Amino acid sequence: MMPVLIWGLTVALMLFGGTLDVLAQSAPPIKIGYAISRTGPFAPGAQVTQEPNYVLWADQVNAAGGLTVKGQKRKIELMGYDDRSEVETAVRTFEKLMTTDKVDLILPPWGSGMNFAVAPLANRHGYPMLAPTALSMKLVEMKLPNFFSMLPQPYVLMQAAADMLAAKGVKTVAVIFMDDLFGLENIAAFEPVVKAKGIAIVEKKSYPLGVKDLSPVLRAIKEKNPDAFVGLTYPPDTILASKQAKEISFNPRVFFTAVGTAFPVYRQVIGADAEGVTGIGSWSSKTSPAARAYFEAHVKKFQKEPDRWASAHCWASLQILQAAIEKVGLDRKAIRDYIAGNEHATILGPIRFKGSEIQFPGTVSQWVGGDFEVVWPPDRATAQLVIPKPAWK
Amino acid sequence: MKLWIELLASGLITGGIYALVAMGLNLQYGLMRILNVSHGEFLMLGAYLTYWAYVVTKASPFLSLPVVFVALFGSGILIHRLCFRRLAATTPEVEAFEARSLLVAFGLMFLVQNLALLIWGADLRGYEYLSRTVSLAGLEFTANRLVAFAGALVFSLGLIVLLRTTLLGKAVRAMMQSPTGALLVGIDVPRLHPMVFGIGLALAGVAGALLSMVFEISPSMGEPYTVTALIVITLGGFGSLTGSLVGGLLLGVVEALGTHLTNPSLRMVLSYGVFVLVLITRPRGLFARG
Repeated sequence: MMPVLIWGLTVALMLFGGTLDVLAQSAPPIKIGYAISRTGPFAPGAQVTQEPNYVLWADQVNAAGGLTVKGQKRKIELMGYDDRSEVETAVRTFEKLMTTDKVDLILPPWGSGMNFAVAPLANRHGYPMLAPTALSMKLVEMKLPNFFSMLPQPYVLMQAAADMLAAKGVKTVAVIFMDDLFGLENIAAFEPVVKAKGIAIVEKKSYPLGVKDLSPVLRAIKEKNPDAFVGLTYPPDTILASKQAKEISFNPRVFFTAVGTAFPVYRQVIGADAEGVTGIGSWSSKTSPAARAYFEAHVKKFQKEPDRWASAHCWASLQILQAAIEKVGLDRKAIRDYIAGNEHATILGPIRFKGSEIQFPGTVSQWVGGDFEVVWPPDRATAQLVIPKPAWK
Repeated sequence: MKLWIELLASGLITGGIYALVAMGLNLQYGLMRILNVSHGEFLMLGAYLTYWAYVVTKASPFLSLPVVFVALFGSGILIHRLCFRRLAATTPEVEAFEARSLLVAFGLMFLVQNLALLIWGADLRGYEYLSRTVSLAGLEFTANRLVAFAGALVFSLGLIVLLRTTLLGKAVRAMMQSPTGALLVGIDVPRLHPMVFGIGLALAGVAGALLSMVFEISPSMGEPYTVTALIVITLGGFGSLTGSLVGGLLLGVVEALGTHLTNPSLRMVLSYGVFVLVLITRPRGLFARG
């Protein structure tokens, strides 16, 4: 008797529970999966530039009732995992998301190396991917139809830097670079363009991820007294190079560091000395009213500012994805074609793709008056370029 | 000439921190055979506590030093009680204990790292403290690096003096030389082990507090220091604190000179080069007795 009763109750619960569920949620959520670095050496970059934007976007969309897919409002369900800064973990997680979990869409991981590993996999499974933090010509040259890079590639960025150096009369430059895909591709792009401008490279040294002391290299560079210093660096070493240049009173006319110069933490730890430091950046809250609205929403939600480079590219990628879903629904092939074939309105201005490459100019930014403003090229500048950089105090 | 002296000094500064981290680990491994691979995580905790105190209350990192020391000493005693006491009681053979303590320490590593992630998030953080440049005999350094070096030396030498001159030190040295002998002559091993473990973690915390003045901090900052500390204690000899001090300074200098002459990308090759060289010529470490 008892077992039958229990069975009956269970079945009833399942039936009614199920119906109630369907009644409460008229449309299933759109499942969007990703793996990103929450721990390990990539976490600081990923947690400044990328994941907060995913969360903010999902929040904003859901607060507005969801995305309109074929006339039906559907909320976003983010399925985010930690890849622990390990390429294998990222690859395995994405594989699982696309095959076992069968998510509707994916969002990319953080960093050039990670995207390099995940992009071919996503392409094979037919998932479009708009990568806001992949700087790699090799990846672009693979011509994966489902891969779109939201950042201008090294040759575009380094051309802009070289143009700026040449325009300001720089004759000699010393350069350090990180010995991974990012650093190697950028140094390869940097060398020919500065030489073409008649600028001599007086010193060129690589360093590994997690370097703790750059002063031996910087002292050698100081002895050579170059006009400009260029560091093709990642966030911790960007700060390390700046601090140690100050320590040894190395004051070149141009001090340029790559990733991380645009991070708010740079100003926190370098303080007033940040003034005049140049680096890779592409926007500020002065760029457009939409950029300002994004900036303020980010600060309101996380009590921290977005960085002045890839954060906005990440946000723009989500704007593009959102527009694509609302236009063509969740058919991944249709989304891919929509992204590839149209011009998109974003906080960075209109964006279009040529193959995997974003059509966006190379830019240089500088800490001016306490904010990281675009200073090159002149037609995108939000502030006047200051050269020479004031000496470290 | 000036350049070389500056390089040498810069190497000693880095080496001082290596030494302090390594001494803490050596206390745990040399004395108790606890292969604590989570040592660096407690360095990270020390750094975050100091950072926190600085940001919230503007407390000088120097004021935080004793607080960090006491806090980590306390958590060391607690962790020893929770994790290692039972393990030691149930695993009398040294080899098996080493292997098992390694596993426990791995667990601790993930636990502490994720705890820090939950509390502070993965962001790179830092503060500006004593970052002005000072000239010492014509050589230029930022004040915070000199202070961190001085702090590391004070704590390292303090520990060596403590072990050399006090009764507590004598007991600890006795336990290092012969655990069974120490028990026989009435040294209270069950009470001293947690204490020494606590001191080990406290030293890591202090190193973290000093480092937070110089470098940016993140929850994953500790691991590389654990690896370096393992190299240093092997270099200097297990159980030899003087060895750890000299080994740490040596490694710092080799790295500074080596990266200047060759390339920073070769830093690990240089560190392991020294390591292999010492292992070949003096397999028991530079300062091992017997």
